[in-house]
Amino acid sequence: MNPLKVERIVKQYSDKTAVNELSFEVSEGEIYGLLGANGAGKTTTMRMILGLILPDQGDIRYFGDPYSKEQLSMLGYLPEERGMYPKIKVSDQILYLAQLRGMSRKDADASLRKWLDRFQVPEYYDKKVEELSKGNQQKIQFIAAIVHKPRIVIMDEAFSGLDPVNVELLKSTVKELRDGGTSIVFSTHRMEHVEELCRNITIMHKSVPVLQGPLRDIKKRFPQERVMLAAEHSIAGLESVPGVGSVAQHEYGYEIKVREPEAAQAVLQHALAQGPVRRFELMEPTLNEIFIKTVGVHNE
Amino acid sequence: MNKLGTVIAFTMRNKMRSKSFVITTLILMILVLVGGNIPYLIDKLGGGDKVSSVSYVQGQYPDIIAGVQQYYAKQPEAKVKLEQGAASEADLKQQLEDGAINGYLTFADDAVSGFPRAVYHSKDAFGSGTSESLTAALQAVKTDQIVKDYGLSDEQMQKLLMPVSLSTEKVSTTNEAGKTENELGTAIGLTYVIVILLFMSVMISGQLIATEITAEKSSRVMEIIVTSVSPLVQMFGKVIGTFIAAVVQIALIVGTMVVSLNMPQNKSALSGFGIRLDTIDPAILVYAILFFLTGFFLYAMLFAAVGSIVSRTEDLGQAVLPITMLTLAGFYIAMFGLTHPDSTLIVVCSYIPFFAPFLMILRIGLSEPGMWEAALSLGILIVAILVLGWLSAKIYRTGVLMYGKRPSIKELVKAMKAYKV
Repeated sequence: MNPLKVERIVKQYSDKTAVNELSFEVSEGEIYGLLGANGAGKTTTMRMILGLILPDQGDIRYFGDPYSKEQLSMLGYLPEERGMYPKIKVSDQILYLAQLRGMSRKDADASLRKWLDRFQVPEYYDKKVEELSKGNQQKIQFIAAIVHKPRIVIMDEAFSGLDPVNVELLKSTVKELRDGGTSIVFSTHRMEHVEELCRNITIMHKSVPVLQGPLRDIKKRFPQERVMLAAEHSIAGLESVPGVGSVAQHEYGYEIKVREPEAAQAVLQHALAQGPVRRFELMEPTLNEIFIKTVGVHNE
Repeated sequence: MNKLGTVIAFTMRNKMRSKSFVITTLILMILVLVGGNIPYLIDKLGGGDKVSSVSYVQGQYPDIIAGVQQYYAKQPEAKVKLEQGAASEADLKQQLEDGAINGYLTFADDAVSGFPRAVYHSKDAFGSGTSESLTAALQAVKTDQIVKDYGLSDEQMQKLLMPVSLSTEKVSTTNEAGKTENELGTAIGLTYVIVILLFMSVMISGQLIATEITAEKSSRVMEIIVTSVSPLVQMFGKVIGTFIAAVVQIALIVGTMVVSLNMPQNKSALSGFGIRLDTIDPAILVYAILFFLTGFFLYAMLFAAVGSIVSRTEDLGQAVLPITMLTLAGFYIAMFGLTHPDSTLIVVCSYIPFFAPFLMILRIGLSEPGMWEAALSLGILIVAILVLGWLSAKIYRTGVLMYGKRPSIKELVKAMKAYKV
């Protein structure tokens, strides 16, 4: 029984459809990537999973059961627009939120202290949120989402506004949670994070899921049409090789777009005919490219 | 329920710890303490106890001067001391200048009344109680003279001067004994205090509840909270938490008031107004608590609903205006009712839930509504609270997730249908 199963959900706002026929499943210990341009319906989907709003059609199941108030205590939520009580002490509000999610004050306190230590900020226990920097508020917000040991965590734009060191810190925490069996629904605009963390993804465009499945399969579905080529000396006439779309010259060599993978071999032979080749690589498409391609195509 | 307790405790703790709460409470306590002692302070500082020395021109109407002297000699605590007198008005002016006397009397013949016109000369034109005291003295002298002319005996004179006695007593149809004047004064005072306390705590706490909900909404804490606990629990927890904080505040203020009223120097001042604390009917206090509770919750729920519709605190003032108007109307009708507790307006309005908390307690305090009338009014209030509580919770659940411009009523109704509370 998968922790989270979303089946053909539809959400209609007065004049527009926010989410149309979206289905996906998240298994235990998996990070699921929910991608899409701004306004594609990611946040609406997350709100439906949290029970903040109800889908007009379709069904969401938590460990096989429909939504109920009891499910709330096993959900964790990191909203995109961060919100804490600015004038209240970190410990007070985190313990409050944890208690609301059904944790005892004592357990919550132990958990909070553990996480503060983990993030190397134990001194924030008695600080007011407004006294902290924005990045540190993010950490506190992150702790608020996971302090009660939820089994399903929804993270909207998990790492926005953090410096690289803290991104690494939170990323390793997310991986830890995943390895501990937590199911995570994850949205971000940073594709390299998705490539690093997610097994399955959905790309939404204008409320419709346009691309869905395991990241590896999706990548295979997109042709390898980028060739990296570097040689001791310059190579002439690359543009004239049949099947080559465009050639760009960088400091480290050539980046060649080919129309089909077979053309890459022709490029290699063409280069070898002119001298030794130092580097030849048929590149896997990056998620970034796939994303732009998918969303861009549908934009036209 | 456990979560309700958590919300109540959190709300209460943060409210009572906040600087504004502590400072407001302290200021109000000081105001009450000062206000309660004002009659005594005026008495002390206003110089009411000082004796003014008054002089006169020797030789002018010696019989009147002698009469005045006799009058003050009979008074136990005379406020005026008549001096030796001086030879001329110029001398008196000099004495006044030196500060030896506070003022002096001169007389001028008055053919019409047969008694000379007296003039009191002093530095300050409105010479506090001195001129009143002198008027009384001269009046007594005049009465004395005239009565003596008619040859009345002292006994006859005393009878003539005896003041007429008229006291009012409220007739009760339910109780054995009606309310005496003292009891009525106390009842008016008490009702006034209860109505003002209710009005103030509804306004202050109501605004606080609305502001807090809007703040939670605009800081987006709301999204986390709504996913943790049902909106009904959240809203009632907030209202109850604020209520407890308000009760603590009121208890401190009322406590200060009772202490200051019971200080020995204030007892006489109060009885001067016809207020005696020991005549308070405990039944009134029970009703006061009941109507205070219901009134508070009715309005708190309205404020909570409005607070959840608005997304920014700046817009809140405008949105709560209708509720503010309702409380103001209730308050002013009650003020009118202090003098007309039996008018049709008051009776009718005491069954309208928004006004009932103000007006029923007023009627109970000042007139004699039947037991069933109070019960009916209370019943209507409780039904209204249940209906409004349900409706407010729905608005709350809907409103807390609506951002952007204030939703129209149509949008609200449509969205409300989508949620089960």
